[in-house]
Amino acid sequence: MELMVNGTPRATASSPVTPLLTVLRDELSVTSVKPGCEQGGCGSCTVWVDGEPRRACLLPVGTLEGARVTTVEGLGTPRDLAALQAAFNDRYAAQCGYCTSGMLMAAQALIDRTGGGPVTREQVIEALSGHVCRCTGYVKILDAVIAAANGEYEGHHGVEFEGDASQPEVEPKGAPA
Amino acid sequence: MKAVGAKLPRYDGIAHITGRTAFVDDVKAPGMLQARALRSPHHHAAIRNLDTRRAEQLPGVRAIVTHRDVPHNIYGHLEALGVPADEPLLAEDVVRWRGQPVAAVAAEDVDTAMEALQLIDVEYEERPALFDIRLALEPDAPEIHEWGPVFPHFGPHNHRRVRKGDIEWAMDAADTIVSGVYRPQAIEHVPLETQAALVIPEPDGRLTVYSCTQAMYFSLGVVAAHLKLPLNRIKFIGGTVGGGFGGKVDTASETIAAVLALKAQRPVKWRWTREEEFLVSSTRAPWHIEIEDAVSSDGWILGRRMVTLHDSGAYARFSPYGLTKHAFHHTGAYTIPNLKFDGFVVFTNRVPTTAMRGFGVTSVSMAVETHITRVADVLGLDPWEIRLKNANRVGDTTGNLVAMQDPSTVPVTLATADAVGKELPAQFRAMTSERRSGDLLPAHLVAQQAPEGAHVLKRAGALDAAPGNGGGR
Repeated sequence: MELMVNGTPRATASSPVTPLLTVLRDELSVTSVKPGCEQGGCGSCTVWVDGEPRRACLLPVGTLEGARVTTVEGLGTPRDLAALQAAFNDRYAAQCGYCTSGMLMAAQALIDRTGGGPVTREQVIEALSGHVCRCTGYVKILDAVIAAANGEYEGHHGVEFEGDASQPEVEPKGAPA
Repeated sequence: MKAVGAKLPRYDGIAHITGRTAFVDDVKAPGMLQARALRSPHHHAAIRNLDTRRAEQLPGVRAIVTHRDVPHNIYGHLEALGVPADEPLLAEDVVRWRGQPVAAVAAEDVDTAMEALQLIDVEYEERPALFDIRLALEPDAPEIHEWGPVFPHFGPHNHRRVRKGDIEWAMDAADTIVSGVYRPQAIEHVPLETQAALVIPEPDGRLTVYSCTQAMYFSLGVVAAHLKLPLNRIKFIGGTVGGGFGGKVDTASETIAAVLALKAQRPVKWRWTREEEFLVSSTRAPWHIEIEDAVSSDGWILGRRMVTLHDSGAYARFSPYGLTKHAFHHTGAYTIPNLKFDGFVVFTNRVPTTAMRGFGVTSVSMAVETHITRVADVLGLDPWEIRLKNANRVGDTTGNLVAMQDPSTVPVTLATADAVGKELPAQFRAMTSERRSGDLLPAHLVAQQAPEGAHVLKRAGALDAAPGNGGGR
């Protein structure tokens, strides 16, 4: 059978009862989709199926013939971030990163449902209520989603990479003056 | 110093928000097998027989390991710090907690590995179990550890002690003695990424280990010690941790995966299930903390007597270290001149406990801060004022006789008061961390003070000459 994964038709040979999560990770090497609990409880495997956020761990792939599956790879790339991704990056909404893909998919779905925003804090809390993050305490995540929905970040305009952004320039240690 | 005060991008930020970060379970190796562990179904039992022969016949099974396959099975994580070993990588003749690994299987896929577990024959003889640290020292408590009810290797003692000054003087001199019992409970770290390892036996005999550990070189040492391999035969790849919070210092999955990989001569991936993470991964310890403070009616803490029981679970692991940190912090951020602290690492048939976000310190801080507020309630005083009076100042000495060089209790307390809109009388508002003098240096605090410039006071140092302050621990 065939799935449309991030706009590309992908064939799967997995048995129909195989969870979409396993098909994406193990067969198609789409590893942004995380196995946090594999019981539908943590939200880290959230993807879009025909535009709706769903838990990939609970979806037998046999029910998804021809479905459009979108993962965080379909939102944006390192050199062409979505506005929501830019907000997450700038506002430190990702800490360990394990829940981030699922958070992004649920939050983008909310922004899309509201016609591109803005959204209220209550709406974001409701949309992310099934998503567990153990690092951040959620505040930075909520702030990033609201900022993106308010149009504070531009998406898909390319990201400037000037050397290695991870290495701040540090003045060389010279002899004491 | 461009980095200080600057807003810097995270080195891994773009990877995280685009799904590009490769966690351990995102890595595959050619010919990779999947692992599962056979775990004790009992809290405490003798193993009378362990037979893997039927499981070995199952097609798709590539390796089954028991304690017989581990070159150095019983290794203590803190042996280098003088803590002897008590915990086997794979159980030998006894299991001491429900979930303790007894055997492990590497197979072509997870389903085969799980089927193989059911074909391993283990004969258990159940024994009485102990779960409540308060009952461990009762004469009829079940015997659960070869070392007895508590970890016995604190130098000449079977518990961690702090002795400072003269606690009997403080109890006699007190206007009131305020008692409290505090029992912070076990907490599971719940990292979103469960424990995971991928171990690749290289053709040249080396091992490549993809690890979720929080402590790369520590875990490298643990794996090398169990396998009796020199460090330069093992390459650790890690640093990308899907949440740890202390729960990933235990090197929970790497070593067993390595034993399997060496036996199968195939790469082995072992990712724990969420159930394993909840039920059998180490937790923050439960504690039982009893505090008695000798206090004066004007809010000075003259002395503290304290007994702590730390639930180590079935094995020592890092608990003696955690309890020692707890002991060093048992006065909190306050200066108390007369101390008697006794802390016990108690064995139970619970999962072994470990570090979590301020190992040993969060428990004692909760107890101590709650207790200070209780002291204020009993005395009818403002808890802020008691904190500020007794707060550490330059030249004050800790329970283990370290002289304060730059204590932050006063400025932090004042900043907190500002943040919550707490109004304080002018003499408290004006307090600083400066060396005690005047009203802030009552007679009972004189002898505990270190001489100007002193860092650590030795047993035979200045304190010995001071009345009412013996020193030492």
